[in-house]
Amino acid sequence: MKTDTHQVPQGEGKGRTIVLTLVMAVITVVMFSQGKMPQDPKEMIALVLTLLFANTLFFLLLYTGRTDRYRAIYFSTFAVSLIISFVSHMFEARGSMSLSETKILQCEVPFCHLVIPMTLVPMAITKTIIFPGSLLGKYASIASMFVIWIGATLALGRGFCSWVCFYGGLDDGFSRVLKRPVIRNINPKWIYLPFAVLLLVALTAAVYLSPVYCSWLCPFKAVTEFQAVTSTKILIQTIIFVGLFIGLVIVLPILTKKRTQCAFLCPFGAMQSLTNKINVFDVRIDKEKCVKCKRCIQVCPTLSMSEESLEQGCARITCMKCGKCIDNCPKGAISYHIKGTDIPGKRNAYRLLFLFAAFLFLAIFSSHIIQDGIVRVLKLITTGSMIS
Amino acid sequence: MPKIRSIFGYMWAGAAIIVVFATFLASDFFSRALVASSGVKISPWYSGGEVVQTLDHGSYRTHVHRPVFDALIGEKDEGFIQVNWEPLAGLPSVIEESFDYSGDGKADFSVRVDTKTGEASLAPINPMVVSIRKTAKLDDGWMIRVQLSRTIKKDR
Ligand code: SF4
Ligand code: SF4
Repeated sequence: MKTDTHQVPQGEGKGRTIVLTLVMAVITVVMFSQGKMPQDPKEMIALVLTLLFANTLFFLLLYTGRTDRYRAIYFSTFAVSLIISFVSHMFEARGSMSLSETKILQCEVPFCHLVIPMTLVPMAITKTIIFPGSLLGKYASIASMFVIWIGATLALGRGFCSWVCFYGGLDDGFSRVLKRPVIRNINPKWIYLPFAVLLLVALTAAVYLSPVYCSWLCPFKAVTEFQAVTSTKILIQTIIFVGLFIGLVIVLPILTKKRTQCAFLCPFGAMQSLTNKINVFDVRIDKEKCVKCKRCIQVCPTLSMSEESLEQGCARITCMKCGKCIDNCPKGAISYHIKGTDIPGKRNAYRLLFLFAAFLFLAIFSSHIIQDGIVRVLKLITTGSMIS
Repeated sequence: MPKIRSIFGYMWAGAAIIVVFATFLASDFFSRALVASSGVKISPWYSGGEVVQTLDHGSYRTHVHRPVFDALIGEKDEGFIQVNWEPLAGLPSVIEESFDYSGDGKADFSVRVDTKTGEASLAPINPMVVSIRKTAKLDDGWMIRVQLSRTIKKDR
């Protein structure tokens, strides 16, 4: 391992990087293929490309010492692949992106983690899940998403929002379009809005026994599935979804270079922030090295760095562990950290342990979606259609 | 003491990596265990509630669900009762059936569903029976949800 005296992000040595990448390669081959090689040539190509993509990025993460740049490429690819895969799946199964009433009445709606905060109170009191999905089996079942959420929360806390969420890569990606932000001064009080939204949707969901955020506010309905427009109410809901998607996921991230939907709206994100308290990994600032240049405050996409953070030596509770501040600190004062250990301590070891947990989660969780996305694109090139 | 905390921190971080593997390798196991141990079900507002009676008509069956008035705590004044008919292939072109969900030996309402056009009509007998809330063709049958109201009963 290189010594910890350099000031800018520093990677592992070449030999160590190769050994660790080989370890990751073995794990990803086993996990991505699930022990069997695909017979279909398109699926084979997709598997190989996904493996190459994952392991190249892991190599670069380790060798360059830069986290956010390579994480963001993977994370955004995951989000785009999800849209390609999900929408193709919907067209194959239902002939459109809209959700028919029949599927709702048969409880066959795919479940997504954003519903979780609204399900918890009714689940605790009535032992029922207020969502028209299937508990087990089927595509995106409720129990499987709960297992993913619990696993990711234990391993990463709010790191979920930079390494696991299949939507987060969208505003993350759009926040990188411009080199400099057009809108600079954002009131930091906005970071409290998701907590208010969380409280509101959790309470209204409990009172009405209905996942109100999904029905009225979720911007991602615009790119996944929405109810067929059969009434004025559904038309208004659709306009809200599309408006929020364009505003919070595309336009504002481009103009502000912040992840505006994740930092200023998402109630699931707010709930995940609370789980940072029980997670072992955090982002810490070495006060001895910090020269208060405030670069980290400027670049943080979630306003999780503030002057108080610099004073206290730690990021705010809303930190998504994306690594952008770490990459951008000119003095190498910011690092991933394991609770209970010294600061700066063995920062490369802390980072390595965090990266293994976070990268593995992202790689395994996204592998089938990215592979399916590649297969769909290959189908489009060879047959002119993404669906079978 | 700091050393113990540091060892504990490293162990916890190592456990995080194990959790990642366990999440994916044992996902099916954990999913089943979660459902079995928590005993959760889909809310009756979506599933229609448990089926309490099945009537066999030879070529098709009628499933009568329990009335749903469930609230977060206690019950709501407004609810519904769901009836399903299946399989699609065995259904007559017009279904006409009466139901006694209150169990007093007298029919509470009767419905008529045209399985070709989807037209449905309701003849309420019990004053709690209000209107047809929803009629829908499912993948393998038809269903109807009939609106029930306790306040209407009190008002009348
Ligand atoms: S804030 Fe919400 S949408 Fe954004 S990454 Fe987190 S869960 Fe996903
Ligand atoms: S504080 Fe750093 S690691 Fe946390 S969200 Fe902001 S830039 Fe990312």
